[in-house]
Amino acid sequence: MSGLYGTLWIALGGLEAQQAGLQTSTNNVANINTPGYSREVPVLEEANPILQGNLVFGDGVQVEGIDSLRSDLLDLQIADETQQQGSSQSYVNAMNQVQTLFPDDTSGIGADISAFFQSLNELSSNPSDLSLRQGVLTAAGNMASSFNDAANQLTQTRQQLDLDAEQQVQQINQISQQIAALNVQLADVSSTGQDYSSFLDQRSALIQQLSGIIDVSQVSDGTSLTLTTKQGAALVVDGQAYALTTAAGSDGVQHIYSAQGNDITGQISGGSLGGTLQARDQTIPDLQTQLDSLASGLVQALNTAHQEGTDLNGNPGGNLFQPITGTGAAASMAVAFTDPSLLAAGSDGTSGSNGNIANLSAVANQAVSNGMTPSDAYSNLVFQVGTSISNGTAEVNASGAMLQQLQQQQSSVSGVSLDEEASNLLLYQRAYQASAEAISAVNQMLETVINMGAQSS
Amino acid sequence: MRISPELTQVVLNALNVSDQAEQTALQQMTTGRRVNQDSDDPAAAAQEVGIAFQMDSCDQYLRSIGGIESELQTADSSLNSAVTALQQAISLGVEGANGTLSQQNRDTLAAEVTGISQQILGVANLSYNGHYVFAGTADSQPPYVANPNSPGGIEYQGNDNTNSVEINSGQSVVVNQPGSALFSASGANVFQALSDLVTALQDPNATTDEIGSATTELRGAFDQLTSARTFYGSTIDQLNSAQDVLNSENVQLSQQQNNVVGVDLNVAATNLTNAEEARNATVQAAATMNDLSLMDYLTPTTTA
Repeated sequence: MSGLYGTLWIALGGLEAQQAGLQTSTNNVANINTPGYSREVPVLEEANPILQGNLVFGDGVQVEGIDSLRSDLLDLQIADETQQQGSSQSYVNAMNQVQTLFPDDTSGIGADISAFFQSLNELSSNPSDLSLRQGVLTAAGNMASSFNDAANQLTQTRQQLDLDAEQQVQQINQISQQIAALNVQLADVSSTGQDYSSFLDQRSALIQQLSGIIDVSQVSDGTSLTLTTKQGAALVVDGQAYALTTAAGSDGVQHIYSAQGNDITGQISGGSLGGTLQARDQTIPDLQTQLDSLASGLVQALNTAHQEGTDLNGNPGGNLFQPITGTGAAASMAVAFTDPSLLAAGSDGTSGSNGNIANLSAVANQAVSNGMTPSDAYSNLVFQVGTSISNGTAEVNASGAMLQQLQQQQSSVSGVSLDEEASNLLLYQRAYQASAEAISAVNQMLETVINMGAQSS
Repeated sequence: MRISPELTQVVLNALNVSDQAEQTALQQMTTGRRVNQDSDDPAAAAQEVGIAFQMDSCDQYLRSIGGIESELQTADSSLNSAVTALQQAISLGVEGANGTLSQQNRDTLAAEVTGISQQILGVANLSYNGHYVFAGTADSQPPYVANPNSPGGIEYQGNDNTNSVEINSGQSVVVNQPGSALFSASGANVFQALSDLVTALQDPNATTDEIGSATTELRGAFDQLTSARTFYGSTIDQLNSAQDVLNSENVQLSQQQNNVVGVDLNVAATNLTNAEEARNATVQAAATMNDLSLMDYLTPTTTA
């Protein structure tokens, strides 16, 4: 079409195109703080030109569609880094609770072991003194309850982590469901040829959220998407979500099963669930074993030494602590008697002998646990707990820095810039004004034409 | 290349970093420690466990030494009074061996020697902190009691055993001398000698030689007591030098502890200043950044 009406149509098309631009910009600005939102741009194209004789006239503009700007590669990298970050962070959080159980100076197991041996030395200068004997029993009791406390709190922390793991599995299942539901919608919308970028945005945000909890592998092709754990347990296949399940294992903690019924507990390494499981299933049980070994080694050595001596009444010494071995030793450590006269400080059957204190004190320098003295074994625990956290923290920082960088890159592709939108708004507004101006010019020209007709009649 | 428009996150991250540095520096300055939890420096924390154990031991050794020393001093000064009394008894014996004395005079001397014997019995039964100091390890009852069938009429109920106390890692000292080494050594029994002297002085038929030999016997017992008593002096010396060693060990250990987990306050203060400066700079940059929106510049023209 050409002529004035053609021009009118071109101007109208211009109005529509600028309006589309205005709408896209406004939508970008409205979503500037929406997580996962990728900025959109209108795709404008020239309309097919019109041939008039030898002349080719442009026929205005048309809106081809709205493009959503995203980088799938960056999305994947961010998901990967989020898994690492989630894993290290939840591990550090768990171990920070454990760290307070192993202080390095004036309190806790180490200080109480030290105080016990000091109380023996104190008694050695006046071995028949009942209050000094009571002092040794009190120090022994303090040492035992320090072991009890640490062991019980390790157990409690492990139980807490067990609950956490269960809740995280529920979260995983919820998010998988949401993603599957989105996949169904996506398929519907895309089959009708409509714009589905906002669904992609939502889905990508949900996958990031999922990556924070568990290690996820994704294979996507257009709107189709398969999500599995890194080891291949299915989570989402298009519109179908596969729920993970939990069940108590023989070791007293919840095990995680894939929808196919495989135990995948040991395979999960990423996301907060990975960190939680690492603390729950590796670090804490390892600490418990060492604590039990120290407690039972110490008790055994002290009991042996105690039995070599004689008590205040000249009778041979019995056990100083209740005998303990193996798992749960630290939790059940307890002094065997409350009567201070039963303490076998002597070696010759008299009340004033301190001959056996040297045997008891010598335990401080004996290898009682994995070839280490009590003090060394405890300091080794301190070192391990400290190292696990400092390494974890270093990983959190490293993956945090990496994640920041990736997010910056992603944002440079997909982020909404207010400056950019402001200038776009200005452009669209001016162009709209200009198109409107063209319409009013055509209007005047048409009026002129109409008036011409009126005069001639 | 398009610049990332989301600067807020950058600012927040920068603030987070400087806040953390500030917090660390502040904590270090208030606690005086660089290592405030195991994870701050695991190797240092583990080392401190050992250092704390040694410091505790040092303190305890010093306390024990204090207790032992005051007991040994009490024992030694009591023995000193016994030694003086025995010297007096010996001179009474010498006086008694003088042939010009009447029996009445010798009876008076004998009564004095009996008194001295009682005095020494008191010393031998000295108790300290609820136990008898010269009873060996059988120290819950008085070591010396009257028994007519025993030498000198005094029976030793204690034993010959001694106690040792550790006064530094791997170093122990014997802390008591049994009465059997001091007062009732075989062949040099103080009570036997005093009793023999009393018997000789009281016997009207006793020759001056007999009194003289009783006095000689007493000298033998005196020599045994004074030589055994040197134990106290030399042990106290040993305790004093152990004390010096422990005190300097303690100083060394606190220095070591400070090196391992303590903080250099100058460094911490500098860190704090740096962190604060970084924070201020970030905040100022962020404040400027917010003014630079194109939106603000467009507003007047669109309303005009």
